[in-house]
Amino acid sequence: MMPRKKLGGALGEMFKTALEPPVTEQYPFGRKVVAERFRGRLDVDPVKCTGCSVCEVVCPAGVITMVPVGKKTIGSREVEVKRPSFDLYTCISCGQCVDDCRFGALTLTHDFELAVFDKKSLIMKKALQVGK
Amino acid sequence: MSDAPAGDRKETGAGLMQYSPEGMMPFGPVHPSLKEPEYFKLILEGEKIVQVVPRIGYVHRGIERAAQERTWVKDIYLFERICGICSFAHSISFTQAVESMSPFEVPDRARYIRVVVAELERIHSHLLWLGLVGHWAGFDTLFMWVWKDREHVLDLEEGITGNRVHKSYSTFGGVRKDLPEGIGAKVTAELGYIEKRVAYYKDLVQSEQTLTVRTRGVGRISQDTARKLSPVGPLLRCTGIGRDVRTEDPYAAYDEVRPEVQTSKDGDIASLLVLRLNEVLDSCRMVKEALEKIPSGPFKVPFPRTVPEGEAAFHVEAPRGELFYFVKSAGGSVPERVKIRTPTMANLLTATEMLKGQTLADVPVVLTGMDPCFGCMDRVSVFDVDKSKEWSLSGEELRDYGIEYYRGRRG
Repeated sequence: MMPRKKLGGALGEMFKTALEPPVTEQYPFGRKVVAERFRGRLDVDPVKCTGCSVCEVVCPAGVITMVPVGKKTIGSREVEVKRPSFDLYTCISCGQCVDDCRFGALTLTHDFELAVFDKKSLIMKKALQVGK
Repeated sequence: MSDAPAGDRKETGAGLMQYSPEGMMPFGPVHPSLKEPEYFKLILEGEKIVQVVPRIGYVHRGIERAAQERTWVKDIYLFERICGICSFAHSISFTQAVESMSPFEVPDRARYIRVVVAELERIHSHLLWLGLVGHWAGFDTLFMWVWKDREHVLDLEEGITGNRVHKSYSTFGGVRKDLPEGIGAKVTAELGYIEKRVAYYKDLVQSEQTLTVRTRGVGRISQDTARKLSPVGPLLRCTGIGRDVRTEDPYAAYDEVRPEVQTSKDGDIASLLVLRLNEVLDSCRMVKEALEKIPSGPFKVPFPRTVPEGEAAFHVEAPRGELFYFVKSAGGSVPERVKIRTPTMANLLTATEMLKGQTLADVPVVLTGMDPCFGCMDRVSVFDVDKSKEWSLSGEELRDYGIEYYRGRRG
């Protein structure tokens, strides 16, 4: 069947949608509710972190650096204690570190507002403070 | 150049390069204001395009080389970033290539989940494309409607995978998370809405003159040309050749959830519009079918960090066509070589053939018609053989030119 040719075929739909409320989110006055699984800003629980360094090894974006925070003695050996520091401005929120953390210390939050004026404010060092 | 010999006018390819004046290129193709840099040199005779010389490589990011420095798991996230629209196609192609080299079998549930997400991705990619055609043809209302509807699919993807664009969902040995509770009812409801809208758009693109005048008979390629130049995906299927990797070499669960290969005979942009919308409807059916048939069980098997020595080639049907991966392992924790051929690369020659014989006003619609992975005509330089004059047009200028041209013809 040869489709008919006409101009203004979308007018009916146009009037219909003109009467509907706007679809656009009125950000920042109205914030979209993200999905339960949404992968946002990375967070760490300093109490659960043992400094095993697995997250540093698996991170594809090089976000995580293990920083020495002191020494402890295990049996007769003295070993260095390390804790992760996160450069969140390079984080791609893939969640690979969360998957591989066997202590459940890492989580991805629902926070997606990561635009900052100073990228240093996205360096997360809270794991360095505890557990020395 | 004005002193170019008249006898060289009909020459093609390198012969035309002598027309290029020195010091051409006022800005671009790499420029912050452009979406994705790409360069097409169009040789004109009056309004008619006689030759097209594409130049590629402006966004060469060295990804294949970078992959050799990273571990297998890190590479999944790297390859996803080749394309923002078909990121899941890249990740399933790479993960399945690697899985085929190892003795571990992927659970059935994971194979079905991959089909669900891959088809949702096809729906959102095709809808994005339809909106873009509307935009470049001067029908921005369609663009806004379609992109509004596309949000529904993106929300579904975010609900299942955790992200709208870079899904990071497929991994070696399966998928990273199981489907969320109660997603079936939500998907069915949303896809019901999409199906209703797509049926309306299908009628609209065939009847609304704003689109038909810009797409019917435009950018036509014959079946013979298609056989000669080997395009992939919808660009091949719109000439009547029903080839689809999903049916010819089924991967994931496509052997159990069969797609109906859509074809069309006209080979022009109008037929591409209908073909892609038919594919969206078919994808909606497949997602629902996959969710009905999906078996219970594990969604992932443990996978070692190293891959046995060997090599594998794998191809999947991305929204734009066949996406090919070659992977070679030396048995270590990093790949020895990965070679990727994306569908746009395969379609580029056909797109240049589609442009020949068209008018300058048709360039935006024809180039969008091939659904390029680069921002296409954001940088086009034009050479008029008769006037021996060369000038450049930005994408927006070209769009306005096209709209004005057709407005004049209609009036």
